[in-house]
Formats: sequence, structure tokens, C-alpha cells
Amino acid sequence: MVFKHIFTYRLKCLLRDHENIFWTLFFPLIMATLFNMAFSNLGSAETFKPVDIAVVNDEQYRQDKNFKSAVEKLSSGDDRLFNLSVVSREEADDMLKNNIIDGYIIAGWPIKLVVNQSGLNQNIIKSFTDNYMQTVSALNTILSKDPGKLQNLINEVESKVNYVKEVSHSNAEPDNILLYFYSLIAMACFYGGFFGMREVSDVQADISPVAARVNTAPVHKLKAFIYSSAASIIIHLAEMLILLAYLIFALKIDFGSKTAYVLLTTFIGSIAGFFFGAFVSAAVKKSEGVKVGVLVSATMICCFLAGMMYQDIKYIIERNMPALSYLNPVNLLTDAFYSLYYYDTFTRFFTDIAILTAFVAVFGSGTCLIIRRRKYASL
Amino acid sequence: MVVRVKNLVKRYGDLLALDHLSFSIKEGEIFGLLGPNGSGKTTAINCILSLLKYDKGEIEVFGQPMRPDAYDIKRNIGIVMQNVAVYDELTVYQNIDYFCGLYISDKSTRKRLVNEVIDFVGLGEFTGFYPKKLSGGLLRRLNIACGIAHKPKLIILDEPTVAVDPQSRNKILEGILELNRQGATIIYTSHYMDEVEQICGRIMIIDRGREIATGTKDELKAMISLGEKITVESYSITENQISSIEKLPGITSVEYKNNKLMIKSGKGTNNLETVLDFIRKENIHFGRIYSEMPTLNDVFLEITGKELRD
Repeated sequence: MVFKHIFTYRLKCLLRDHENIFWTLFFPLIMATLFNMAFSNLGSAETFKPVDIAVVNDEQYRQDKNFKSAVEKLSSGDDRLFNLSVVSREEADDMLKNNIIDGYIIAGWPIKLVVNQSGLNQNIIKSFTDNYMQTVSALNTILSKDPGKLQNLINEVESKVNYVKEVSHSNAEPDNILLYFYSLIAMACFYGGFFGMREVSDVQADISPVAARVNTAPVHKLKAFIYSSAASIIIHLAEMLILLAYLIFALKIDFGSKTAYVLLTTFIGSIAGFFFGAFVSAAVKKSEGVKVGVLVSATMICCFLAGMMYQDIKYIIERNMPALSYLNPVNLLTDAFYSLYYYDTFTRFFTDIAILTAFVAVFGSGTCLIIRRRKYASL
Repeated sequence: MVVRVKNLVKRYGDLLALDHLSFSIKEGEIFGLLGPNGSGKTTAINCILSLLKYDKGEIEVFGQPMRPDAYDIKRNIGIVMQNVAVYDELTVYQNIDYFCGLYISDKSTRKRLVNEVIDFVGLGEFTGFYPKKLSGGLLRRLNIACGIAHKPKLIILDEPTVAVDPQSRNKILEGILELNRQGATIIYTSHYMDEVEQICGRIMIIDRGREIATGTKDELKAMISLGEKITVESYSITENQISSIEKLPGITSVEYKNNKLMIKSGKGTNNLETVLDFIRKENIHFGRIYSEMPTLNDVFLEITGKELRD
């Protein structure tokens, strides 16, 4: 009966705590939206767009079969380098002036390149013309000095080999951008620490007058803490489900096909975040402002080390300080999500979950040990 | 005895907050703990409630040793904290219902008690209000309602009228007397001597954690030598005239400060008429002249050498 009483009133209290709801629900949703906007641009920027060029259709171009062939070869197919237009000099000038093309080429020796500004696309055209002239010059030199080696050279030029190949460990495609979203979920889980912090504040008589009143009531302190914590955890889990739904259905973030495990990870992460905040609140014997500062700082440092702001830091730590990556609960959460997405096996996932569960046990029992004290040295 | 405190000692580091404090409170009493800020009133209350650790002493409530897990005792105690202790996210009704529910599990009984206490503190029009929308006085009334809704036998009110408007203050004091009439034993702490004089049957004056004096207000006033204070508001009194007043029979001290002449006389003497005769004879111009009986502040002043309100 007391459970129902405390639990229901606690739900009302927490749901009306607008500041807490903002940081634990709306802030991660806003961050997710911003991440999505930033990374969708990053994705499109990574897709190569062929460079628009023109070649002046003069006598030299028509006669230089090799050059004509090279330009046409680079301007055909889906992975072409250029969108080629063969036009008169006047037309080429007009197109350049109207920014229809990034530059135009006049065949001959040396090959001339006309551009009206410098930039990446202009550099690409210049690289092509330089490379072509260098190769032709080398062929001419060899032909004049040692014609017998010409065939070898032609074979080498034609058979450029890429020695690096992307190989997947699983059926999923490697996707580094997902790490940002996974660390965002981990951050949201650990923002549940605000709930834990409030629960401890509302039961510690030396922190708040309301807690002092609760301590004078005929209710066991730890029971009161557990009952109201149940309400906090349920609200935070609901918030996490909303965030997950938003990521999956609105932003189309891929979590792989193991939905139940994703939910399990979120559940454990949420509880770990709650008890992390509760532990900080119980252990830091300072004002509420200092406690919030410690919680936010600790969470953001963990997020940074998990790669939320700079992705490579996660790998730098894994390579140089592997123990630290296992001691960072945010990193464990991020890693668990990524393992679910990327690996076909569960070994790494369950290792992460087991360590996270240990964190829950440590933070939870630590909190209970600290707040179990029922008399205070000062109020 | 409802409360018995014996040789209570509480230290905060080097500071001795309670120095062998002892007192007993009988059933049906309104017991006042009077002392300046920092005198140890709230510390004593928190020790009684088993919120604070203490270094030495014994505390019994309803004849049983008070402990943090003495839930049967706690069930019969109502506490009104010095700081308002309510949830900002709950309405007036919900706050009272929540705290009452920590004591009373039966829903219908609780509903009745909550409605009764709302009527009692006069918050009927504000049941749907959130605490932030209430004035200071109404907030204090809500604080009181949360502490007494479960009809406790012992009610502890720790400075319940701090920062309260006169109308709410009177309502609160009347309410405390009514609770006492209904059978509750009251412990009332304050640094406002007039409030304590007005409602408390027995008063303990404390300073620096020590008992200064205990008794009814008349018993306390009887402990000091001062009998009467006469104040004359005038800006034209000479040194010679002051010396002459000092020589009048029964006068114990004369002080002239800020255009106010303060004449004190000992017990059993009434000097108002003598002073008036002197003023007329000397043709002293004055604004007001009035006589006062000793207050608890005078008791405190005479015993400790400092003002209660300091």
C-alpha cells in the first residue's frame, strides 16, 4: 500500500519536473536531430560527384586520338571522373563564365587548362592533365631511348592495382557514423543520473527539507528510496524507448536485426545511468550545484572517451589503454550497441553487458551503503 | 511524560551546540523553546526526532527511547520544519495527501483527514494551487498542514512563523492553541518572545545550547530584579535632570539614548507617578511617556547580559 502511494505520487512529481524531463528526454532528441542533420550532409559530401569539364573541339583534339580516348574513357560509366562536353572555344568560354563547367581543356602540347577559380574540381582536372602529359612524355622518352621496354611500361601503366580492400567481418556494412548515435544513446542513458540524483536528494535529510520530513515519517528509508526509484527508472526507460523509436523510425538509424538485445542494452544502460547519478549524489558531500556539475562532467568525459565528440579517441584508448575502455560505462554501452549491429556473434556484446551489470551492482550497493545511515552528523 | 531529554550533548567539531540540556514535557502542554538564532533550538528538535546524532544523553518520547526505526513513536509525531518542506510539483491537496499517506494507509480515513486539515489551516480555496503560486503565509500554512494532517499526539513546530504576514501569523498561532485544545502536546520553538509568551504554558530559554531558565512566563519574570520600565520620549533632558531622576526612590537605572529616557525600577515599586511629578516640576517637554512590565527579553538580558533579538 505504501509502495503504491509513494510510487504514484513519485510518478506525478517526476513527470512535472520540467527541467529533468528536458535534459533526460528532449535534449537527447534535439541532439539526435542535430547529429542526423550534420551526418547526412557528411554522407552526401563523401559521395563523389563527376567534375563538369569541356574540351575544345578543334583540329588538335580531333587528331590526338590518344588524348581523345583518355578523356572519353574517364568520362564514361557510373564511376566516371568527368561529365564531358565537346564544344567550340566560344561555347567553352560561355559555359565557364556561366559556371556550367569547372574548366575546359585545349588539346595540343602542352595541354592547356582554362579555369576561372581555384578549387577541388579544378585541381582534379589539373591533376589529370599533368598526369597525362607526364605519362606521354615518359613514353616518348623510352620510345626514343629503348623501344624494347615500351610494352612493359604500357602494361604497368594500364594495370594500376589497389592493394587495399575493404572486407566486412559480418553481413553488416562498417558504418562509423552509427557510433555517434550509439554514444548519444549511451549519453541519454547516463543522463538518467539526474533521476538518481534527485531520488537521493529527496531521501537524505542533510540535503533537503523534504527529505528531512520523509525521514521523520514511519517509513523505512531504504524502502522509500527503492519505491520512488522504481518510478524514476520506469520514466527514464520510457524516455529511452521514445528516443530509440525516434532514431529507428524517424531518423532511420540502423540497429541491426537484434531488437530484443537492443532493448536489453538500453534497459541495463538506463539503470546503470540512474545508479551512477544516485551514487554521485550520495558520495559527493557538497551542494546540489556541485553534484550536478560532477555528474554532467563525469558523463560528458565518459561520452568523449567513448567517441561521441571525436570518434578516433575510442580506438586510441582501445589500442593504448584497453583497461580504460572497459572502465568507461558509456563506452561499454556504445560498444554493446555497435557489437549488436556489426558482429554476428554475441561474445563481445555479452562481455560489455556483463561489465555494465557489474557497474550497476557497484553503484547500486554503494548508494545503499551510503544512504542507509539513518542519523546525520549535521543537517 | 511525552518527551524527556536528559543531559543532551551535541558537538559540531569544536562547537558545543547542546550543553547537557535536560527538560521534560508533560502531556497536553505547549512547551516553548525560546532562544536567539543559533542557540540550539533546532538542533535539540532534530535530536529528539532522531535525525541528528548526539554525543551524549538520553531521549525518550512517549516513555520509549527514541530511535530512527521507532516507527510506532514516529506515527504519533507531527513535525513542522523551519524550512518549508513540500514538493513543488504537487498541488496543495496532493502534498498534504502524500505526507499524510506516509502515516495513514486507509484511503477513506486519509481523505477525511486531509479535508479536515485543509479547513483547519484555511487553504480550501487553494487546493489546486502549486506551492510556487502561494504567498509566504499560505506556504507556511501548507507546511503546517503537511505536518499535522495525520492528527499526531505530539506536534513539533520549529519557527513556523518566520517570514509570515501578521494575518497568517495570527491564524497559525490560533491554530496551535486549537490543536492543543484538541489534545495535542506541542513543542514550539521561536526567537519571537511575544509569540512564545502568547501561546506557551511553559517556556525554556536557551542560549549557546544551555538552559538559561525554565518556567511559566510569570515564573521567569519573577526570576529577575526588574519591576517596571518607564520610557519618556524627549529631546531636552539635561545631565542634571538625569542625575536627579537616578536619586528618586526605587529607581535602579536611568539611560538616555536616541531621545529616549529609559527608567528602570526594582520589584514592588511603581514609579510612574513620581516620574510624572518630576517632569512637570522640571517643565520637561515630552512626546510620549509609557510604562511596561518586564518581558522575556528582559529576563534574557538580565541573565545573559545580551538582547534576545541579537
